[in-house]
Amino acid sequence: MRILLAEDDPDLARQLKTSLSDAGYVVDHAPDGEEAHFLGDTEPYDCVILDLGLPKIDGVSVLERWRRDGKTTPVLILTARGAWSDKVSGFDAGADDYLTKPFHTEELLARLRALVRRAAGHAQPMLTCGGLRLDPRAARASVNGEPLRLTSLEYRLLHYLMLHQNRVISRTELVEHLYDQDFDRDSNTIEVFMGRLRKKIGGDRIETVRGLGYRLKPLHDEVGSL
Amino acid sequence: MSAAESAPRRGLDPRRFWRRLLRILSARDSLVGRLIRLASTYFTVALIVTGIALTAYFHEVTMHRFQERVGQIADSLFSVTNIDADGVDTSRFVDARSAIVHSGLYWQVGEVGANGAIVSAVTSRSLWDEQLPLPPGVLRDARAHSGSSVFYDGMGPVNEPLRVAVIYSRVNNKPYVFMAGEDSSPVEHDVRTFALLTAAALLVLALGALAAIFIQVRVGLRPLFDLTDEIAHVQSGEQQRLTKTYPAEIRPVAHQLNAFLDHAQEVVERQRMHVGNLAHALKTPLSVLMTSAGDSGDALAQTVRKQAETMRAQVDHHLRRARAAARSKAMGERTPVEPVLDELAVMLEQVFQDKGVVVDWRAPDDLAFRGERQDLQEIAGNLMENACIWCRRKVMIHAEFDAADQTVSLSVEDDGPGLAESRFDEVLKRGARLDESVPGSGLGLSIVDELVRAYGGTLSFGRSGWGGLKVTAHLPGGRTAS
Repeated sequence: MRILLAEDDPDLARQLKTSLSDAGYVVDHAPDGEEAHFLGDTEPYDCVILDLGLPKIDGVSVLERWRRDGKTTPVLILTARGAWSDKVSGFDAGADDYLTKPFHTEELLARLRALVRRAAGHAQPMLTCGGLRLDPRAARASVNGEPLRLTSLEYRLLHYLMLHQNRVISRTELVEHLYDQDFDRDSNTIEVFMGRLRKKIGGDRIETVRGLGYRLKPLHDEVGSL
Repeated sequence: MSAAESAPRRGLDPRRFWRRLLRILSARDSLVGRLIRLASTYFTVALIVTGIALTAYFHEVTMHRFQERVGQIADSLFSVTNIDADGVDTSRFVDARSAIVHSGLYWQVGEVGANGAIVSAVTSRSLWDEQLPLPPGVLRDARAHSGSSVFYDGMGPVNEPLRVAVIYSRVNNKPYVFMAGEDSSPVEHDVRTFALLTAAALLVLALGALAAIFIQVRVGLRPLFDLTDEIAHVQSGEQQRLTKTYPAEIRPVAHQLNAFLDHAQEVVERQRMHVGNLAHALKTPLSVLMTSAGDSGDALAQTVRKQAETMRAQVDHHLRRARAAARSKAMGERTPVEPVLDELAVMLEQVFQDKGVVVDWRAPDDLAFRGERQDLQEIAGNLMENACIWCRRKVMIHAEFDAADQTVSLSVEDDGPGLAESRFDEVLKRGARLDESVPGSGLGLSIVDELVRAYGGTLSFGRSGWGGLKVTAHLPGGRTAS
């Protein structure tokens, strides 16, 4: 397992490098944003630990560049400020997990293991519907190449709709697949989720069939181009 | 645009308009009231003077005409009456009205005795068996102006007010008076009617002018009201600075206010930056301390680790407090609640992916928090993270607007083990951690509590529908303009 550690504080970097090596990882260290970006861009890492407060180029920008270039390497961000706005902007840039400084080394190792395991899931076929793409392996979806930020319930709903696209699906059926057994099954909430999903993927893609349910279909111009 | 809309409505509803006018007029400290009082005082005085002058002039003119007529009657009586040895012959004086008893027009020709009283008189039929009185002063006056009319106000046979003309003349060496009198009450009546009409017209004019002045002042001072509205909007967080264009007189005030707002914003921004830098500067060394100590199990290492942890908690506590205080004094913003909940839900589900946490939320689209986005993120983020840590699988967030007290209630529930009521206070204590085995700074709730308080809100605890903990934050809220 190869890991990139981007951290500007030499003491913390040295300690983390030792701990990570002891845990069996091969660690490359980048002391600034420029080097971190270069290494992440050229070397195939299994995971990146990225401090947000890096000199030269800050962590969020580095992460944004990687994601823009199509790099899907899992990234764990370290933040000293602990402010939620930092965490949120890190996630917007494409981070997979965060840790607030100071932290326990064991916790970092545990998070790292989880990230690597998640990324190594089995490959499943990509689902598409017009400009919509859904990757069941990474549990990620995108519309016209723009990544979508979905909650798990929204994702489940979209996944089910995409598996059964062009078919009318009743609310009851959706409720059953959306919630586990122990959830309160209120079919009204389907409307709430449909509203949010439409807002995120574009309203025209989901059609309401009165009295029957919902149908996901590609947009008209997309049908032509397929 | 509400001011522009309400202006014609105000015009259409006269009752509201007058009520409003009265209220403004009676307010001692109102600028509008002052302007209107000043203008209306002058106006009222001017109108009263005009009214009195007009009435007086009308009275004067009508009386003069009336008196002239009475004088003419006396003149013609004097010229047609023939006095000789047979006595007084008035047969050539023909007048229909004076032939009717008590008609209001009277005349008489009388010889004046030595004592100044009328000795014998020929009277009009209208006088019946009475005579027109001749006060001695009038006789003296008439004697002085012999041959021309002198006038006096007397009383008629049926107690009507009379204007009487008296001509004194000596005929055949005997003094005679030729008198004619007419009832002046119709003239008085005319004058009264005129005065009333004038007063009414002037009153209408005064009220109309008052309304015109009021409207003019309101319209003229509209920029001032706009300024007040804008300041209120800034205060309630609907806008950041003053954006309207103001007339030259109050433009400096608007500029100064904007400069002041910018300055306040800048101070807050600087404060935040400073605080962030300080936190960053302290936390990395603390991380190093904790990590070095964490590798070893001896007593010194444990002490260092524990103390470093305490230091971190202290740094967090005080820095956040300073930050919260700096922010809450800043002029407010409006942050839509929904997007913040959405991004936090997406993020936390990803972070707690291995646990399979499902974060669900309900919030009206137009719900807004009257405060900064970062603070809402901090409050909701900490509450939701706590819920994710403690829940088994489910976290539910409800954000609702309370129109009565303009607040947002943000409640976060989980299906975890919950918390005994007796321990609710404990949770808020700085750095308290109820279960050391569960990761988390343990500061989350006290940070939330401080922030919520900085916004004048409250934090309350309860039991969730699933038996877990339910934390509700009541915060200043509103609705975003759609």
